[in-house]
Amino acid sequence: MGERVRGSSSDGAPEPELGLNLSVVGAYSVISVSGEIDMYTAPKLREAVRQLTAEGRMHVAIDLTPTEFCDSTGLGVLIGARRRLTDAGGDLVVVCTNPRISKLLDLTGLDKVLDVREAVPDE
Amino acid sequence: MSASRQDQRTGPVTVRFAFTPAAAYVRAARLVAADVASHAGVVTGLLDEIRQAVGEACTRAVLRHRDCNIDDLVRVEFSIGDRFVAKITDNARVMRAQPEQRLARPDSGGDARPNDHDAIEEDTLSEEITLIVLGGLVEDLVVSGPDDERGTTVSMSWPLPGTAPSGDH
Repeated sequence: MGERVRGSSSDGAPEPELGLNLSVVGAYSVISVSGEIDMYTAPKLREAVRQLTAEGRMHVAIDLTPTEFCDSTGLGVLIGARRRLTDAGGDLVVVCTNPRISKLLDLTGLDKVLDVREAVPDE
Repeated sequence: MSASRQDQRTGPVTVRFAFTPAAAYVRAARLVAADVASHAGVVTGLLDEIRQAVGEACTRAVLRHRDCNIDDLVRVEFSIGDRFVAKITDNARVMRAQPEQRLARPDSGGDARPNDHDAIEEDTLSEEITLIVLGGLVEDLVVSGPDDERGTTVSMSWPLPGTAPSGDH
């Protein structure tokens, strides 16, 4: 049920992996993100959200619980995903219990813009 | 391994490197930052902050080079003296590129997709967020430049415990 997405490089060097596990909880399609979200790996997350919306799945949760690191590029993807989903009549939930990422959301004020929760709504 | 955590040195120590402005190398830069800071004796509780801050500054530098369509190396310097100092220097001589410039770019060096409006918008957001994150995260932060001859430098520093030369080697 999960899908792992591995980076590749032209010179064959090992790349940091961004793990994207897809599941469904209640009304939400959940992308559980493990590894490090930065400007190199963030496009994979952006693409995963886009794929879900293309399939008509407009209630999306991005679960950052297993995420080891997230930078501003990752935050940019969250903002973009929220915008696309709300424009299409859907919504984005961000699941975050990691104190480091919570601090980032707080620093940037995104904790007030994004729907940040401790778990995926299961109703 | 017999090396102590802090080298016994009387003068400042410098670690300097540069990298091609591509997303793939930002991770290496932030890992080096955390490692050098750890080796310098920065308290463990600050290492995540340093890793995050250096990563943000390098991300910003790569985005700025990408905006200006320049392949110059992003320069990184760590120095260990009274404090742990990190300096990240780009070579983009404009304060901020406009989103239209990004859209007009015929080639973006392989990382970005110039025809992808969402990615470009998110890059624009990210560049702005990097400074917000840095401002909130780093107490001693100075962003200087750009001018006619150089780009911007993000300078940040963190305290080192016991600034007197160590004699515990």
